[in-house]
Amino acid sequence: MRAALESLLRARKLDVTVTDAPGALAPPPERFAPAGGGGLDAALGGGFRRGHLSEVTGAASSGRTTIVVQALAAAAARGEAVALVDACDTFDPVSAAARGLDLARLLWVRESGDAGRALKAFSLILQAGGFGLAVLDLADVPAAALRRFPWPTWMRLARIIEGSETVALLVGSEHLARSARGVTVALEPSIVAWRGAVDRARLFGGVQSSPRIVGGRR
Amino acid sequence: MNGRVPSYDDLMPGIPDEVDARSTSQLALFLRDTVNGSNNARTSDPGELPAKDSSALFSGCSTPSLFACLRIANHAPTADCDRPASAQAPAEQVRLIAVARDFSPRVMMASAREVLLDVSGLGRLIGEPPAIAAALARSMKAAGITAQVAIAATQTAARLLAAQGPDSSMARFPGIPVIDLQELETLPPAMNHRDRARPYETFERWGIATLGDLVALPAAELSSRLGRRGVALQRLARGLDPRPFVPDGETPRYIGRLELEWPLETLEPLSFVLARLLEPLSAALERADRGAAAIRLELRLTTRALHARVLQLPAPMRDPRVLRTLLLLDLESNPPSAAVDVVTIELDPAPARITQFSLLERALPSPETLSTLTARLSALVGESRIGSAVLVDTHRPGAFAMVRFAPEARGANGAKRADGAEGAGAEGAGIEGAAVLRRQRVPPAIRVRVESGRPVYVAAARRGMPQGAVLQAAGPWRTSGGWWAASDAGRGNGIGPVPSPVSSKPAAAGDGGQPRRGEGGWNHDEWDVALTCGAVCRIFQDPASQRWFLEGLYD
Repeated sequence: MRAALESLLRARKLDVTVTDAPGALAPPPERFAPAGGGGLDAALGGGFRRGHLSEVTGAASSGRTTIVVQALAAAAARGEAVALVDACDTFDPVSAAARGLDLARLLWVRESGDAGRALKAFSLILQAGGFGLAVLDLADVPAAALRRFPWPTWMRLARIIEGSETVALLVGSEHLARSARGVTVALEPSIVAWRGAVDRARLFGGVQSSPRIVGGRR
Repeated sequence: MNGRVPSYDDLMPGIPDEVDARSTSQLALFLRDTVNGSNNARTSDPGELPAKDSSALFSGCSTPSLFACLRIANHAPTADCDRPASAQAPAEQVRLIAVARDFSPRVMMASAREVLLDVSGLGRLIGEPPAIAAALARSMKAAGITAQVAIAATQTAARLLAAQGPDSSMARFPGIPVIDLQELETLPPAMNHRDRARPYETFERWGIATLGDLVALPAAELSSRLGRRGVALQRLARGLDPRPFVPDGETPRYIGRLELEWPLETLEPLSFVLARLLEPLSAALERADRGAAAIRLELRLTTRALHARVLQLPAPMRDPRVLRTLLLLDLESNPPSAAVDVVTIELDPAPARITQFSLLERALPSPETLSTLTARLSALVGESRIGSAVLVDTHRPGAFAMVRFAPEARGANGAKRADGAEGAGAEGAGIEGAAVLRRQRVPPAIRVRVESGRPVYVAAARRGMPQGAVLQAAGPWRTSGGWWAASDAGRGNGIGPVPSPVSSKPAAAGDGGQPRRGEGGWNHDEWDVALTCGAVCRIFQDPASQRWFLEGLYD
């Protein structure tokens, strides 16, 4: 009962205001949403932190989308509803389903390049709540367009999900924003794997990402 | 039934064994309970009600069901008493139904002179069953109807009690003549009068005159002599119902209409009007334990035109704020062409949603939340651009369809996911499992230098696209299809694939991914290329035009 009440107070952000006694309410346990990859989860300490804004950055073909789809698939497999705001409408359901993503649990918002509208749609999804993972894919939006957003824009996103069970994830080609306990998964240029030595019989074998974790204050 | 005339056995279900018909003591106990659970709350005048009996009579009633039977007294006998009300519909019958509907929404015409109503939930509102019977009798008297009222735990008991004269008491229930069961029987229309009367003649020969006598007979022997009809008659004599209570289908309509004193031109004042209409409708839905499955909004404009909108809701809901928000968001996307004069809202009722949560599974967004979110997103980016993707049964590159986002139980989704994975594996060269593609909905044209039949340099047509010398290349893999129906493919099937440029020019941008007429077929020679800039792309060449396009980037 006590745990339920504390959880309720935290959800309403009243855990600090109801009492002055330090430690009256135990600090909330870390809640992680596993990203679906063993190595990445280990590097993240269990997964992406719930209630925080994290990001996945990297150049083209560095494996950003693969990591995001893995995280979406893992959340959907846990029975959570997930959302993807696709700022440039580049999401490919066929290859995502092949990675194990349950498309029926994915709310897909297709935007045709307007980052402002994509941000507003993402904000609406976060405000609605109930999603385990919400992703805003800005990877193909020009950096100049993203720099026009004032800094508080990202902090407002972080504030919306604070204390909730939702993981908010930004995808971009360079660092955008993260909340205090959020992380940046920076992907270094990847190694491209090919199968077959002969030109005529060669097959593309995928990309091997090397993520570097930044932030995530413990 | 295979087209044959239904027999008696088809119409009368078997008797459950909740009471051992061979045990006289159990039968007596059951009869006593039935009698106690029924009542002697029969009255034609509230003044006749013996108040001192009211508490004792229903103390033994353990079942939550309670039915009242209103039976028109001194009704002229008709050839077929079981004809439905709609066939005769005399004024008295209509008034009787109206009185019944004042007390309960669950009303059923049992015969031409009898109306049954479910009064199970009236205890808190009116009181004990005798008080309910008294209230019914008062209402009928006020309506000018001469009728008997009886309340019992079963429909059969209520009907049998209501058929008795005004001076009989509950103690007479076992003494009700067996012949009174004739009116309660449901027999095949083809059965002749002689067969109809046969068991009653047998009972007369046996000296069985009352329900008590019939109930006391051993069921097995009764069955061996009279068949299932005899057992069914004994079941009726116990007061058991041959069929469940099915309320008549006349459902109330939930309509609100408001003629405005002056026309409204903007949505903000209209929201107050909508709220004023929706709040009483939602309250009415709540009283009837119903939710709205659809909202029908009709706006009469100052131009005398009608602006009608129908919102299908994913689940029955009745929160007036949610309903108003959904209407406003829909009107934002589809605004009326002129000022609004008259507002009419009709809610389609449906049984209310029952939600069972699980401690083991994470809660999903509620249908109310999802409806509002979907409506807001639709207003923002367009209705066709949100939802869930569904894979379609085709080899067309990147083919998918969009459906309404409605996450369901995991069991159902597991099957869907398996299907989706299988469908995905059919496309491409089996590399999707290794990397996810970022697909260009409208493949942009690129310039590719080819040496010895292999691409060696990719040049982008616009800034931001990958370009550089080709480090590694795998291909080509030819994929083609839709050529057999190139002029018809993709029409009206809701598919949102990449419009494949089978012609020499690439598809125009901004078409929302919908296939256009004449673009149903595709013919690609696909290559996977790694460029010096670090990007790994899927490119393809149209063999007909020899032009190259960028299909997507592996990421």
